[in-house]
Amino acid sequence: MNPNETDILLVEDSQDDADLALHALRREHLANNIFIARDGEEALDFLLCRGPFSERSFDHPPKLVLLDLKLPKVDGIEVLRQLKDDARTKSIPVIVLTSSKEERDLVRSYDLGANSYIQKPVDFEQFRETVKTVGLYWIVVNRLPPPGLARRSAEQGTS
Amino acid sequence: MRKDGRQIDISASISPIKDSGGHIVGAANIARDITERKRAEAAQAAQAQELTRQAQELTRSREALQTQTALLQSVLDNIGEGLVAADENGKFVLWNPAAENIVGLGAANVPSQEWTQHYGLFLPDTVTPFPGELNPLSRAIQGEPCAAEMFVRNPALTEGAWIEANAHPLKDAKGALRGGVVAFRDISERKKAAQEVLKLNEELERRVAERTAQLEEANKELESFTYSVAHDLRAPLRHIAGFSGILVEEFGPSLETQAQSYLHRIQEGTRKMGQLVDELLTLARVGRQTPNLQVTGLSSIVREVIALLQPESEGRQVEWKITELPFVECDPTLIKQVFQNLISNSLKYSRPRSLAVIEIGQIQENGQPAIFVRDNGVGFSMKYADKLFGVFQRLHRAEDFEGTGVGLATVQRIIKKHQGRVWAEAELDKGATFYFTIGGLQGAETVTPVAGVGVGA
Repeated sequence: MNPNETDILLVEDSQDDADLALHALRREHLANNIFIARDGEEALDFLLCRGPFSERSFDHPPKLVLLDLKLPKVDGIEVLRQLKDDARTKSIPVIVLTSSKEERDLVRSYDLGANSYIQKPVDFEQFRETVKTVGLYWIVVNRLPPPGLARRSAEQGTS
Repeated sequence: MRKDGRQIDISASISPIKDSGGHIVGAANIARDITERKRAEAAQAAQAQELTRQAQELTRSREALQTQTALLQSVLDNIGEGLVAADENGKFVLWNPAAENIVGLGAANVPSQEWTQHYGLFLPDTVTPFPGELNPLSRAIQGEPCAAEMFVRNPALTEGAWIEANAHPLKDAKGALRGGVVAFRDISERKKAAQEVLKLNEELERRVAERTAQLEEANKELESFTYSVAHDLRAPLRHIAGFSGILVEEFGPSLETQAQSYLHRIQEGTRKMGQLVDELLTLARVGRQTPNLQVTGLSSIVREVIALLQPESEGRQVEWKITELPFVECDPTLIKQVFQNLISNSLKYSRPRSLAVIEIGQIQENGQPAIFVRDNGVGFSMKYADKLFGVFQRLHRAEDFEGTGVGLATVQRIIKKHQGRVWAEAELDKGATFYFTIGGLQGAETVTPVAGVGVGA
């Protein structure tokens, strides 16, 4: 898969959770362009087009990031912070999809600019419903500014 | 003997009479009446005697005085109390050995303003110099009886001494102020004992605080343990639910009926466990959070909950008897959970009745309003009432009434967080009533919204 054509970046360290998410997304025909990062560091490298992903271009950001909070190396909150801190990536929608129902995580996620916060339901039907809703809305319905434009406007804003 | 027969004292003197040649020619006898003289002599003797007597008496009384003085001196020397007296100018006129012993110094010729410094006098805190104008003896000299405790930095003792002093003015027979006297005693032992008691109390308090902190810590740990266990159980549970769901969906049709039935049981088990884990998480969360208190109308919460539980009463005949409930200060989210648990229980356990009657209202319990939720369901035996609010405690078989045994534990925890009490009354097959009070109910009237009276009105 060409990393420049990624629709969804799924940041998930559990293979089981990743497989279940993929299965649910596939059912909604949203699984064609998914990249799975297995820890926070890989997610940041991917998003910031560096290290193994230096070939990637900021002009082709994913349409959506599904972010787990409990991650090895760099945790989800830190990924979120760096992502939203960087003018080149701040407009990428991030859905925190986690098992944590901790209010602290919820508050911090929104503080850092998460676009949505969803607790993974235990019930598979509910999970599938959630994935469907999220996927359809953010991939199909939602419109994002063209990446170059968004970035230039952000840069002008800060200069 | 006189002619009148009265005998008198005479003095007689006989002297020879001689001629010019020195020849004795006769004798002259002169007798003189000496009565007066005699009397005077007698008076003199009596006077002397009297004088002697007086002298003796004087000696005796002087001896008595000396004895008494010696006695008093001995008393002064031997009493344990320190005694110090000073004249109206502040010059010491008495300073007994006990005083010297206690203070560590004797009478010194220093002005009263310098006593504090000279004798090392402090307030009982042992560090603040004793204010001169408050010195009991100084005040007594000015005519004011006075008592005080002080600390004396006795140079003979390493640790000094606490004393208790009582001072009184000294007045002469005419009532004129002549100085003052102060009696004092060493109360170091008592003070030390009191300090020891204080120290023991402090130690005890410290230990209680320490234990309480440890308990709180243990409680917190237990709660966060519950939370993380429940939390971490969710992930594998999600996987079981997810993959068995996929299995049913994608391979179900090709599986034998028996295999399909097993798979459904796995899913059912997973669903129940998911519910249990979520309820445990709620319980742990209630334990960890501080109620967010706000004035809340309980009636509107009850209406909300009944609407929420609509699916549970679907197709059943339920008669609701609800009286108006007060406004109270509580955490509406938590109290909603209380009503949700209690009303849901009422609906569940009245299921066997063709007409379920559920009553919600308030009563007075020991002068305090209590809210109740009553049903005409299967009830329970009061024998097991104490188990009702324990986690995982169930009084009914799962086949008869589903449930996790966490609901009432959560109710109790929420009510405790509101400084309230929850209890139940029931009879087997005759229904059950659950009561609760919450701290905010006490001031129910005061929190009832009232029309504001503005300054400009």
